[in-house]
Amino acid sequence: MAWRNLGRNRTRTALAVLGIVVGVIAIASLGMAGVALEQQATSSLGGLTDQATISPGEDIDTDGITDAQAETIRDLLPGVTVIPQKTNFTELSARNGEEANVQVTGLTNPAPLYDLSVGTEPTRLETGALISESTAQTLGLEIGDPIEYEGQLFRIRGFIASQSGFGSDGGGELVLPLSALNQQDDYNSVTIIAEDGDAATEAATTIEEHFNEDDDEVLSVTTYASVQENISSFTDTLELALLGIGSISLFVASVAILNVMLMSTIERRGEIGVLRAVGVRRGEILRMILTEAAFLGVVGGLVGAAGSLVVGVVMFNVLAGDPALALAWSSSRYLLYGFIFALVASILSGIYPAWKAANKSPVDALRGS
Amino acid sequence: MSVIQLRDVVKRYNTEAETIEALKNVDFYANRGEMVVVTGPSGSGKSTMLNMIGLLDTPTTGEIFLDGRNITDFDEDERTEERRSQLGFVFQDFHLLPMLTAEENVELPSMWDTDVDRRERASDLLERVGLGDRLTHTPDELSGGQQQRVAIARSLINEPDILLADEPTGNLDQDTGKTVLDEITRLKQEENIAVVSITHDEQLVEYADRVVRIVDGVVQ
Repeated sequence: MAWRNLGRNRTRTALAVLGIVVGVIAIASLGMAGVALEQQATSSLGGLTDQATISPGEDIDTDGITDAQAETIRDLLPGVTVIPQKTNFTELSARNGEEANVQVTGLTNPAPLYDLSVGTEPTRLETGALISESTAQTLGLEIGDPIEYEGQLFRIRGFIASQSGFGSDGGGELVLPLSALNQQDDYNSVTIIAEDGDAATEAATTIEEHFNEDDDEVLSVTTYASVQENISSFTDTLELALLGIGSISLFVASVAILNVMLMSTIERRGEIGVLRAVGVRRGEILRMILTEAAFLGVVGGLVGAAGSLVVGVVMFNVLAGDPALALAWSSSRYLLYGFIFALVASILSGIYPAWKAANKSPVDALRGS
Repeated sequence: MSVIQLRDVVKRYNTEAETIEALKNVDFYANRGEMVVVTGPSGSGKSTMLNMIGLLDTPTTGEIFLDGRNITDFDEDERTEERRSQLGFVFQDFHLLPMLTAEENVELPSMWDTDVDRRERASDLLERVGLGDRLTHTPDELSGGQQQRVAIARSLINEPDILLADEPTGNLDQDTGKTVLDEITRLKQEENIAVVSITHDEQLVEYADRVVRIVDGVVQ
């Protein structure tokens, strides 16, 4: 019944639906644009935000982070990758006469921290060495060549790709098994890798609360959370602004629905009077007109969501390079939000005309026809 | 006993300039199986009286009895329920909904009920008014007389006690008007209902069991 009532003035109905479609597309695709921008920004950070570096603080009693402390950190952070490291500096000299200063890092599990351009990445480093690609080029080293450190020889098993983004100091790096730096008792730093930026921040707080009392700083924790936070707060603001613009268009759309419903109830005043006269209850009239408004919302919302999906796929393809990301919940939920918003806006703007039509006295309504 | 009764009913309308008394101490009744025709010049208070009988409006003073019950103080929702179960309406210009078929128009008053029989009763009623082959036609595919017969079928869907007709032949030619009136007379007897009709039409008066004349809000 409601459906057929809408069919009576197709142009008016189509225009109202068009208004909602535009509103939904505005909301959903602007929301998705925010997500796409955030993902793009996060991915260009090089995934560093999920890491934190723990180093000895000012008030530590030992030379570095002890085995026991490293174990405690592991226990405190289940599910987080903990990589204790010993570092040193050395000068490497090659047969071709070139020399290079490198930072020596001793650890057991280099895989999460380093990307290799050549060679396979060991999850446990026990004998070989990894060296920065640029340093290897300077020294004329190739895979399989030996490197001497503190009197021990290590074979090069891979080249570390030069990093882009934050956190790379550009200097050469030599990665050795932990045992190579055995003359140092304590760790110089511990890198932890959590699920995401928020988890890393949480882990950092846990460590600080556990080890540092009052003003004593036993361990110092550096996270990239502030960078992450800046990016998040920026993209949040951006998202809000975009959603705001979208909401304005949906607001305009609901005014259009209000107008359509008001016009059509005024036009049908006599008819509604007849319905009331033959015993149709006020609640039933109310429901009929609200259903009409809801229909407008559902149709407009669905078409709008479909349109936004297309816009989203194109946008993610351009911004994030992967159109499939548009289907991920973080972005596709804006389709749902847009749809719900359309439905709610339609029903809200249907309430007044519906109430007005239902409460008109049948005598007046009949006289007006 | 009278199925509907007005006792000493007064209706006043307040406009800015003056108070108009549309009905002055009107007494009225109608019995089952009886057709009462209310006549009178324009502005005499006929329509106001029909609105009172049809429970569409409330009197300023006086009382209304439906089937012996005093319903004068019923609120809008209660009156709606009474209209739904006891009254059927037929209007001068039919007032069918243009997007519904004849059958759906007949079902209209009970469309929101979850009553499964209503479709059957609707087609049965249309059959009885001679429109058994027009069930799926929309009003614009029907002639005026056919539309009015659909409206009559609609007024009977809820098995009312009273049928109210506001100039039922006003928009019909003489012959069509006659068929419609024959139809109403037949249904009045078959269903044993009271028919109250207001009209200018002399033709209608011929069908009346009783004629009530109203002038300037006073029953003569």
